[in-house]
Amino acid sequence: MSSEHESFEQEAKDIEEAVFSGKPFFSRPAGKIFIIWLVMTAVGVLIGIYAPHHLLTTLHSSAGSDVWATMVFFTVLAAPVAALVYGIAFYSLIAWRHRGNQEEPPEDGPPLRGNGPASILWLVTSTVLVVVLLVWGLSVWSAQQVSHPNTLQVNVTGQQWLWTFSYPGTGVESRSLVLPVNRPVEFNVTSVDVTHGFWPAALGVQVDANPNTTTVIRATPNSLGTFTVRCSQLCGLYHSFMYAPGSVVTSTQFSAWLQSEGATPSSADQVARLASS
Amino acid sequence: MSVTTTGHEGPQENGRNVEAVAGHHETREQRDFKERFALWLFITGDALFLVMELFFWFYLRALNTNGLWRGVNCSKANACVDGLGNPITHSIPKANPWYSVGIAALVVVAALLIWAVERAARTSEKRSIVSGLAGLSALVLLAAIALQCYQFGKVPFTTIQGTYASTYLFFMGSTLGHLILLGFLAIGFWNRARVGKFDNGQWHHLRLFRIFAVWIALSAVILTAVSSLFA
Amino acid sequence: MTTAEAPALLEDTKLGPRAGGLYRRQNIFTGLGLGILLGFVGWVLSHQFLQGSNWGTDMVVTVTMVGWVLGFNIGMGSLNAPIRWLLGHDQSYDDELYAAGVEQGKARYWKFCTDHKVVGTQYLVLVMLLFGVGGTLAMMMRTQLITPHSSFLSANTYNAIVSVHGMVMIIATIIMVSGPFANFIMPIMIGAKDMAFPRLNALSFWLIASAIPPMIATFFLGGVDAGWTTYAPLSVQAPAAMDAFSMTMITFVLSVTIAGVNTIVTVFTMRAKGMSLTRLPIFTWGTVVGSALSIYAMPALLLGFTAMITDRVTGTSFYVAAVGGTGWLWENIFWIFGHPEVYIILIPPVAAMLEVASTFARKPIFGYKVIIAGFAAISVLSLMVWAHHMFTTGWAPDLAGPFMLTTELISIPTGIIFLCIIGTLWKGRIWTRLPMYFVYLFLWNFIIGGITGIYLSDVPADQYFHGDMFVTAHFHYTLLGGAMIAATAALCYWFPKITGKMLNERIGKVAFWIIAISIQITYFGQFWEGFQGMPRRVAYYDPIFLRANQMTSVGGYLLMAGWLVFLYAMIHSIRHGKVAPANPWHAKSLEWKVPTPVPLVNFLVDPVVTSDPYGYGEPDPEVAAGQPGIGDPEQELVPTLSSDHPTAGGES
Repeated sequence: MSSEHESFEQEAKDIEEAVFSGKPFFSRPAGKIFIIWLVMTAVGVLIGIYAPHHLLTTLHSSAGSDVWATMVFFTVLAAPVAALVYGIAFYSLIAWRHRGNQEEPPEDGPPLRGNGPASILWLVTSTVLVVVLLVWGLSVWSAQQVSHPNTLQVNVTGQQWLWTFSYPGTGVESRSLVLPVNRPVEFNVTSVDVTHGFWPAALGVQVDANPNTTTVIRATPNSLGTFTVRCSQLCGLYHSFMYAPGSVVTSTQFSAWLQSEGATPSSADQVARLASS
Repeated sequence: MSVTTTGHEGPQENGRNVEAVAGHHETREQRDFKERFALWLFITGDALFLVMELFFWFYLRALNTNGLWRGVNCSKANACVDGLGNPITHSIPKANPWYSVGIAALVVVAALLIWAVERAARTSEKRSIVSGLAGLSALVLLAAIALQCYQFGKVPFTTIQGTYASTYLFFMGSTLGHLILLGFLAIGFWNRARVGKFDNGQWHHLRLFRIFAVWIALSAVILTAVSSLFA
Repeated sequence: MTTAEAPALLEDTKLGPRAGGLYRRQNIFTGLGLGILLGFVGWVLSHQFLQGSNWGTDMVVTVTMVGWVLGFNIGMGSLNAPIRWLLGHDQSYDDELYAAGVEQGKARYWKFCTDHKVVGTQYLVLVMLLFGVGGTLAMMMRTQLITPHSSFLSANTYNAIVSVHGMVMIIATIIMVSGPFANFIMPIMIGAKDMAFPRLNALSFWLIASAIPPMIATFFLGGVDAGWTTYAPLSVQAPAAMDAFSMTMITFVLSVTIAGVNTIVTVFTMRAKGMSLTRLPIFTWGTVVGSALSIYAMPALLLGFTAMITDRVTGTSFYVAAVGGTGWLWENIFWIFGHPEVYIILIPPVAAMLEVASTFARKPIFGYKVIIAGFAAISVLSLMVWAHHMFTTGWAPDLAGPFMLTTELISIPTGIIFLCIIGTLWKGRIWTRLPMYFVYLFLWNFIIGGITGIYLSDVPADQYFHGDMFVTAHFHYTLLGGAMIAATAALCYWFPKITGKMLNERIGKVAFWIIAISIQITYFGQFWEGFQGMPRRVAYYDPIFLRANQMTSVGGYLLMAGWLVFLYAMIHSIRHGKVAPANPWHAKSLEWKVPTPVPLVNFLVDPVVTSDPYGYGEPDPEVAAGQPGIGDPEQELVPTLSSDHPTAGGES
């Protein structure tokens, strides 16, 4: 027992020596690795902050913004972790590489079989990071489950190989998904044949369309524009062609569109929640 | 790795390890330990297969998609549709549990006989007793197989009539497959006993046979219980 | 045969003309012949008696494939031993020697051969063949996708290619380390003469070999259009190709389960004297963990595919909602297999790679026990995460939180493995030979693959990315960039022991750089596609995805070129390479202590182990005790006359 205690102490001393005492910090391995790590982390953080916006499709809902925010947050948190691994690996090739005759092995390195404090520190740090990510994810997820008053119901039916959207209360069935801005929507999704994936990516949500059962997903469009609804679950021959146009419009435009699809003015206005005339 | 090259282990002849040359190998006990270990690993896999079969049963029963577990809401007025598009106008009747119970009972009897075979060999009974009991177990298993095949014709439903029917028939097929395997082993053990493979205290393989037979009996009992009690 | 007449090496034994019995006449030609014959018989009989039923074509295909698998294996001799057991007429010692390949020379590679080194080599060739098939299919896919609306492939052909590419690659990656290296190297590494069950070992190989033709046959039976995950009900409706696909998977499951049992029993019962579990090389632990996961995961897949066949061939309604089943049942049982399966793919190569890291940093493995604990934690957790593949199916919204929890937790033990890899490099003397190149590439790739997995484990983010090319990029980074690169490190490492030649490093390094760079190009292209919102498994796409697809396709072609250069390096080295010494890397594990080529019984003198194989930088206890010991790494384990030896025993 005491020898374990002694080696733990020795290992802690090794770290202390590497990091704190003796030569100036930046001429020791820990210092040089710190510089490499700092630079790589900075690059990673910059990528995390700027890349998602440029790469993601234009987002039109709060759930979509949640996706963007999650990508930024996770990438920024991941950057120092990746940088640490890359930094040490990179440094090992600079400082510890055997540069002599490659046919013969170099002499042995130090017999470092482990380091208790380093392992514990790593374990604790990674656990903390995971907990942070979990709390983030769970809070975003539960916020998305809250149902709101004034929710617009849209029924989505998938079939091989097209989408049909119907608006209960108006009798409208359309191949386009038109939604009023700033109004929570609840999609009731089903399929008449095989499993499809209802995927309006710009709204940041998706759910499978399963036969003989209805699944529900919610989103709130928050900016005007057009987007595409695609199928995310391989559904046979023309899966590639299973997409539908979507748009987010004002309430007035929404009512007008419903009427152009055959709804009576009163039902259109009622569903669009326009003030009754 | 630190290794001694002074290979003074095992019988030596002219400095060469006899085992390395003659090839054979380990003791009977070492061989038997390996075989039992492997058998338990296979049984673990088979047990997981059983657990997943039960998952199938209970998940489909809970979901009861379209009411077609046993179609209790299907009636003339409210017809359901089977796998070929034919209407189902009545609920699917429960299978007669006594067939499955009978099969499971036969397998339990076979397992008891196999336990007796092992015991007979361990106490060095006459060869004819060992082979006789093994042969008897094979006959009991053949009867179980025959009864299981017969049950296929007697169940009051077909595969296309909903998920209770499908899963019940699947359980029957799974039992049949395991019984065929056990029956093959029983015939082999009977024959090997007959030619004297288990004389003089060579009972180790019979222990493996017994362990496996007890497992098959247990799984038959579990499947019977679930399919009879949770229709 | 008395020991006075015994030859110096067992493989030089002169057997009688009847040794081996039926094995003497059985080889791959009899296997193919009987397989085709029984398949044909099955086809004729089922056509005659079963065609008329509602599921006739499916029945015919299923029976034909069963006939093929049975016939092939009977023809190979896989079933000789069980039949002889039944008849009470067991194989003699000479029969067993014949079965181990004595007196057959190179022909034994084409036969049912129980020598684990032969089986390992057979697996290596099969794995390379499978990667060739899967890679060619990938090239066809990338050619289709280089323009948004290509006429290169029809939609149906493309879907069929996607499905087979996926499943062939999964099969190849599952066996790429546990086939060749767990068979060839592991028994030697633990000081054993062979695996615990040599006949089962050969059976597991020929079972997989027989499983591949039905997979290829799917292209001629209408094609499987449901992806490698073959979700129901689409797969229940698929053409008869799906029955062949299912038969491949059922046969594959049986093979892997048998191999897994064999591996575990071997490691726990056949170690050399003195090799306690804490002296076991980490690679051996990796193979044990992979095998244990197989025993859990494979039964689930067996059940899933058996029920798929009954749905298609007898009309059961497990997966078809219209008659009471549900596609969710398929998805659940598939992913109960499918998630542990990725760790079956990952852990053995990572464990092999750790051996490489230790040898080429000239340091012990950092955190040996931590790694084992990490493997154990990953395994246990991997049983509890499967529904993260189903976050967007709508099957159980309340379970999204718990599965997100377990999935994110798995990154903790995975991360600790990284600590141990870089800990092994820390302050080492890095010997940058070719195997070590792949270790560094693994580190680069798996960080990217692992982190992108964490994005996907976040349910709100997954709602954007599920089913799109981001997922594809993630798993290619982890499985190809991670596991396959680690397996390549292992291949470069053990190449001299297996082939007896040194792998040409000049050509190998050219291949390495092409592969390393093209992986980034190809799969960053796919990440780009995924961010933009391109779905998976599409033969045609919206032109907004054009640039990203061009990047991916160019990268893909380069990647294929890189692997072909690597293949050339291997073939060139086998034919013209430098003859390899027994221990070219001056490593310390037991496989490097035996001569190359390895004798049939591996060890001519039973080794007695006195320490683990990571004693770099530590004084050799043998030398310290004044014994000749293993100070000289070139010293092989060869028998000596007992009179030459100092009699003081050196074992502790």
